[in-house]
Amino acid sequence: SPSLRMPAPLLAAAGRGLWAMGDGGPLARAIRAKLAAALQPTHLQVLDESSRHGGPPGAETHFTVVVVSGRFAGLPPLQRHRLVHAALRAELAGPLHALAIVARTPQQWENDPLVPPRPPCLGGSKQERRRD
Amino acid sequence: MSGVVRAAWRLGVAAARGPAGRPLSQAPAGRAAGGGAEGSGGSGSREAVERLVRAHPVVVFMKGSPAQPLCGFSNAVVQILRLHGVEDYRAHDVLQDPDLRQGIKNYSNWPTIPQVYLNGEFVGGCDILLQMHQNGDLVEELKKLGIRSALLDAEKDKDKK
Repeated sequence: SPSLRMPAPLLAAAGRGLWAMGDGGPLARAIRAKLAAALQPTHLQVLDESSRHGGPPGAETHFTVVVVSGRFAGLPPLQRHRLVHAALRAELAGPLHALAIVARTPQQWENDPLVPPRPPCLGGSKQERRRD
Repeated sequence: MSGVVRAAWRLGVAAARGPAGRPLSQAPAGRAAGGGAEGSGGSGSREAVERLVRAHPVVVFMKGSPAQPLCGFSNAVVQILRLHGVEDYRAHDVLQDPDLRQGIKNYSNWPTIPQVYLNGEFVGGCDILLQMHQNGDLVEELKKLGIRSALLDAEKDKDKK
């Protein structure tokens, strides 16, 4: 995607405009930037699924990331997910409440470019007084 | 993905209230006074978590219980285990115990819930369990634990017809 090749300052300056264009809020953009830097993905989707978990649209608490990267080659799923977690350590310690991950190599993505449907929310967030 | 799992997700809470695994949150006696998640003897200490993950071949840390999951991802784990006929496992509701909730994240170095342990070893969360279900790895891992997946019997019945 073109935004991955934009120089950082330009990306930041375009931030507000990008949100209006549907690239997501500040957390979505931070997640995208960190995953791009850490994993050089050939394909990257950062999806704010917060509205499916009882939050208002754009709440930025629950995300799904689809990361396609050669860095995953030879790594079992657990290690792939750990790489994603490492890139997003600060966000996971903060506002990022839940993270669903699809982590494939470019070859795997070419063979199967579909993302499994997400499980329905059961309102768990409403039951909690504090977040993770 | 498997139409069966998709159907299971649609059943949602209704299905989760069927015959279920053991819903229990184990808050061990004698939590350290004023201790945080890592307080010695506290429910979130490495020793306490170690005891829990070794207590049974299949151990799940989740939100809610198998009878009443409170999170879609936790419910997905319960549904997948149910598809394989695994109803006898240890489930711990981290919403009941903040020290345990933090303790398991420290123990597995994994930031989210649910968490699945097979034979005392951390396997991953809901996404990984789903992958294992889809690619046949879960049937193999259960077999190593001496648990015969119900899906093997379903396959056999199919072949008989």
